[in-house]
Amino acid sequence: MKKKIVSLVMVAAMAMSMVACGSSSDSGDSAASTGVSITVLNSKTEIQTQFEDMAEEYEKATGVHVEVYNADTDTTVASQVATKYASNDPYTLTMVDAKDIYSLADDYAYDLSNEDWASHTTLGIDVNGKLAGFPVCVEARGILYNADAIKEITGEDFDPASVATLDDFKALLDKLVAGGMEAPVGILSEYWSLGAHWFPMVYEEQEDPDAFVNSLLAGEADLAGNEKYNELMDTFETLVAYNYAKGSASNADREETSMMLAEGDIAFMFGGNWDWSVINQYDYTENMGIMPVPQNTEDGTNEMLVGGGSKYFFVDSSDATSEEERQAALDFLNWLVSDPEGNAFLTEQCALVPAFDNIDASALDPLSLSVKSYADAGKLVPNYNYLPDDHMTVVGQEIMQKYLDEAMTRDEVATSVVDYFKSATPIAH
Amino acid sequence: MKTNTLSYKIKQYLIFAGLTTFIFASVVLVPFVYGLYLTFTSWDGVSLSKPFVGIENYVNAFADTSYWQSLGRTFIYSAIAVILVNAVAFIIAYMVTSGIKGQNFFRAGFFVPNLIGGIVLGYVWKFVFNKALVELAETITSGHAKSLLATETGAIAALIIVSVWQYAGYMMLIYVAGFMSVSEDVIEAAKIDGCTGSQSIFYISIPLMTASFVQCLFLTITRCFMVYDVNLSLTNGDPYGSSALAAMHVYNQAFINKNYGTGQAEALILFVICAIIGGIQVYVGKKGEVQA
Repeated sequence: MKKKIVSLVMVAAMAMSMVACGSSSDSGDSAASTGVSITVLNSKTEIQTQFEDMAEEYEKATGVHVEVYNADTDTTVASQVATKYASNDPYTLTMVDAKDIYSLADDYAYDLSNEDWASHTTLGIDVNGKLAGFPVCVEARGILYNADAIKEITGEDFDPASVATLDDFKALLDKLVAGGMEAPVGILSEYWSLGAHWFPMVYEEQEDPDAFVNSLLAGEADLAGNEKYNELMDTFETLVAYNYAKGSASNADREETSMMLAEGDIAFMFGGNWDWSVINQYDYTENMGIMPVPQNTEDGTNEMLVGGGSKYFFVDSSDATSEEERQAALDFLNWLVSDPEGNAFLTEQCALVPAFDNIDASALDPLSLSVKSYADAGKLVPNYNYLPDDHMTVVGQEIMQKYLDEAMTRDEVATSVVDYFKSATPIAH
Repeated sequence: MKTNTLSYKIKQYLIFAGLTTFIFASVVLVPFVYGLYLTFTSWDGVSLSKPFVGIENYVNAFADTSYWQSLGRTFIYSAIAVILVNAVAFIIAYMVTSGIKGQNFFRAGFFVPNLIGGIVLGYVWKFVFNKALVELAETITSGHAKSLLATETGAIAALIIVSVWQYAGYMMLIYVAGFMSVSEDVIEAAKIDGCTGSQSIFYISIPLMTASFVQCLFLTITRCFMVYDVNLSLTNGDPYGSSALAAMHVYNQAFINKNYGTGQAEALILFVICAIIGGIQVYVGKKGEVQA
């Protein structure tokens, strides 16, 4: 009897699994009404749900099936793309970072310069004469502030322009501390934040970033005595001094820091408009924004955010993608820029700052609105995209995390960074 | 029918092992050889061109001090973790075979951590170390407490603790099988001869269980040397890259720093080291096996 039951269960389990297989392939067939199907790799994981919903709507409207894949969390986008190319099964549309466009464009990117949207943006990426990257959005870095939390203590409306210099910023921090906010600052300890967002400002805000990085690579630059380096490090030291996670700063949790900012337990955090997707999970206020990193400087960078185009689509040019699929991918990119539905997807559903001048962006979140206003005013220091690949891990994790924990002095940071550049592999560009 | 001709033997082999040989070759041998070839190129991981550079990647690998540091850390981590995993597993196995009440429940309970994926497990423990334990310590000492994960040695210690928690249950199963395989007669004979409880464990059970020890040691050593998932989700190399173990360094080298060739060469060195240690350990262990 017992045996019979066991075998019945086995049969049932088998039948279930076959039914499951069958139904999934069915739905794939019936959905593709035009028969064209494109695959998209989405490496902005925070918009995956919106992307999938949009793909369904898009299919209803155009009959083109869009299969959206989320970038794996346990691997890098570059390695995921590499795997797909190695198995000759690339995505039709792949979303990567600016840096990856340069390494992929020659072999795999289709020339987009004849597309209608090309004239509406200045942020596309050209590689060797072809327009290879479609800018998904504009992102910029600076200091995030919670104006409500500041007003509650100071009693006045917060004006970011009033703390452009480090001295003024410090005065405000002291006021906040005196008013009962024990530690008004949060610093993300993740190595990408320190090594790919904070420290690169030292190069990006130089007069000629490329020349400066090249002189570092040649071992000729005097980093410790560099004015920009010291201005930014002065500010960083101030942030460290007022950091709520002082004592275990290199272990601060991103979620927790963002939550504290959203709820007004801290007033400032270094970050960018992408942090909104974390902040809006909590009990946030609309009175937030991004302001330039305060610095005692004369060069005007303390009135500008740092950033530009972020995340780029490229269309696969290899034989693995058919003409038809490629055209569908191109149509999709056009739809994003020129169709109101496409615009709404970018600005309303995903809260991205559009990189195209014909898109209305008034529905954006407060952080993105800040970025948009700086971008429209031309107050963005451009990203520097040619840092050696291991800059983020070496400078971010091995050097800046120590500095964040006050386990390293400013001179030691300069020496280690200079040493690092001596053996770093330059990016050809 | 002649059965000792070559064609007959080949046919026999293909009938019985042809399919497995094919699968083994296509998922292990071919990728391995191809990977070996890639260590002699300066491929960046995606581009179409794979320029041949000779042994440059091996030179780079040997000159990569942070690789050797991570390898050193891996040795320390593995040595401690292997000893602890096996000691804990053996003790648990002894307890759940000694006839205590609800021993099947305990066996299942101890095995469960092994069913949780490394990534999830890392995040769970990260919360425990960063929040629960810090909160607890702050309540007890009523002062500021630092998370174990915020210090360099602490992070490695945390990795060891999590590994022990994860693997001990699995190894326990093998030791349980070992204990069960020691026949009651031998134990009873030892008792009649006047063995005490501990004597019968050390002089009867353990020597007869050598096979279990060889297996467990081999599994734990190779797993510890190759650990990546827990390392990624629990510490991700923090603080200051001091907890990045060899596999993580190899991965970062290949895919974050985009030195695919060097990363692959370093992976091969790691493989050779693992193979040598595993081989020696199994050889020595096998020699020590005894029959009842």
